[in-house]
Amino acid sequence: MNLTVNGKPATIDRKETLNITALLDELKVAQPEYVTVELNGEILERDNFESTVVRNGDTVEFLYFMGGGN
Amino acid sequence: MTIKARKLRFDTLLIHGGLEAGPAGATTVPVVQSSSFAHHTAEDLEDIFRGRKVGQVYTRIGNPTTESLEKRLALLEGGIAAIATASGMAAITTAVMTIVRSGDEILASSSLFGGTFSLFRDTLANYGIRAKFVDPTDITAVRNGITEQTRLIFVETIGNPKLDVPDIPAIAAAAQEAGVPLMVDATVTTPYLARGTELGADIVIHSTSKFINGTGSAIGGAIIDMGSFDWGSGKFPHFEPFAKKYRNFAFTARARKLIHKDFGACPAPMNSFLLTEGIETLALRMDRHCENAMQLARFLKGHDKVKWVNYPGLEDSPHHGVAKRLYKGKYSGLLTFGLADKSAAFRFINGVKLAKNLANIGDAKTLVIHPASTICSDFGPEEKALMGVTEELVRVSVGIEDIDDIIDDFAEALDNI
Repeated sequence: MNLTVNGKPATIDRKETLNITALLDELKVAQPEYVTVELNGEILERDNFESTVVRNGDTVEFLYFMGGGN
Repeated sequence: MTIKARKLRFDTLLIHGGLEAGPAGATTVPVVQSSSFAHHTAEDLEDIFRGRKVGQVYTRIGNPTTESLEKRLALLEGGIAAIATASGMAAITTAVMTIVRSGDEILASSSLFGGTFSLFRDTLANYGIRAKFVDPTDITAVRNGITEQTRLIFVETIGNPKLDVPDIPAIAAAAQEAGVPLMVDATVTTPYLARGTELGADIVIHSTSKFINGTGSAIGGAIIDMGSFDWGSGKFPHFEPFAKKYRNFAFTARARKLIHKDFGACPAPMNSFLLTEGIETLALRMDRHCENAMQLARFLKGHDKVKWVNYPGLEDSPHHGVAKRLYKGKYSGLLTFGLADKSAAFRFINGVKLAKNLANIGDAKTLVIHPASTICSDFGPEEKALMGVTEELVRVSVGIEDIDDIIDDFAEALDNI
C-alpha cells in the first residue's frame, strides 16, 4: 500500500487493511498519545482511530503541538 | 516486559512515571544542561518546527529533563499533558493568560495566596482582565458570581494561609453548567491527597517548589491539563483553531505554541531534575507532614498561651467535613494559630530554634512566619481580612522532623513569650 506520510511517499508492505492505531504502530510514530492525525486533509477524532482505515493513495499527516515553533 | 505507566499505582508512578532509561543505565533522569539541540538535516528541523516530528529545539520551549518531570506530573494528576514552568506564579500566569483576554472576567477565591491575589487584582487589571473575588466555600456565592463575561474560575484546594477548604467537586459542577473551565491550585494538597481528576478540575496548578520538591532546594511550577474541557464550544473563539486541530489537547497546544513560548517562563533543567528527584518521596513525606501537623495542632490547642488554632484536621474546624471527604482523611501540613497580639507572635518566632522563620511552605523542615508583616504586608485591612490574616496569627508549615522535637521547640518558645 502506497501512502503519502508527512509529505513523503511511504510504502507499507501489508496485505490486510490498517486502521490508524495500527498505522501509528507500523510507522513507529513517536509519542502516539499526543499526535494529531490528519487523513486526506481531515483531522480525525482520537476516538475514531480504531474505526478509520487507510487506503492505497491516502495522504496522512502526523502533527505534534510540542514542537519547535509555529 | 514493558510497563505501561498508566496502569501503575500512584506510589509507583511517583518513582517510575515518565522516566525513560538513561544513558549508561542511569536510574535518575539525566540533567540535559543544553540551551539548544542540534539536528542532522535542515529537513529534520523543518519537520519539528512544522509539528510533523517530535524533537527538542530550545530549552525555553522544551527540554528532555523537564519533559520527564512533565510526564510524571501528568500521570500523577490523571491528566493528558503537563507544562513545567519556572515557578508557581509563572504556572498561574501562563495558564491564565492562555485562557483569558481583555474584557474577560476571572471568578476567583477571595482567600487566594497573596501572589495570586495581587496578579489577579492588580497586574491583570492593567490588561483589561477583571477579577471578581468570592468566598469559595459559599457555593451560592460562586454560582451567583458567574457572569456572561466569566471565562475562568480559579480556586485553591486549601487556601493559604486562610486554610479554608472549598467543595471543589461542587464548584466543578457549577463551572461545567456555565461552560467555564475550572483551574485549581493544588499546591497545598498535592496529587497524593487528591488527583485533579477526582476533584473535577479542568486544569491543575502547582507551585512545585513546595511539597513536590520537599526540600526547599528548587523553585518550580506546573500546569496539568485534564483534557476535560470543551474548548470548541464557541465561547472561546481564540481557541477554535486549536480545538479543531488538537481536540482535547487544545489548552496545552495553545499554551505551548503561544503563551509559554512567548512569555518564556521555562524551568532550568537542574531544577527539573531536583523536582523529579524530590517527588519520588512525596507519599511518605505527605503522610508525615499530615501526622505531625495533626499532633502539633492538638498540642497548640491545649496550650494556655494559644488563643485559637486553625487546622482543617481538627474536628471543630468549619472545614473539617469537606476536607475529610475530599482528601482521604488527610489535611496537609499547614496550620495557623493565634497568640495574644503581634508582639507575642514575634516573640514566639524569635524564640523557636528548630523551626525556620522564612517565606515558604512544604519543606521537610518546620517553617514559621508572621504573614501580616511579611507575605501579606502589601495588603490593606480589608484584603487581610479576606485572607484570614490577623496581627496575632502565626503560620506554620509543619515539617517531617520527629514530632516530639517540633513540640519541644514550640513549647519552649511559647513558655518564653
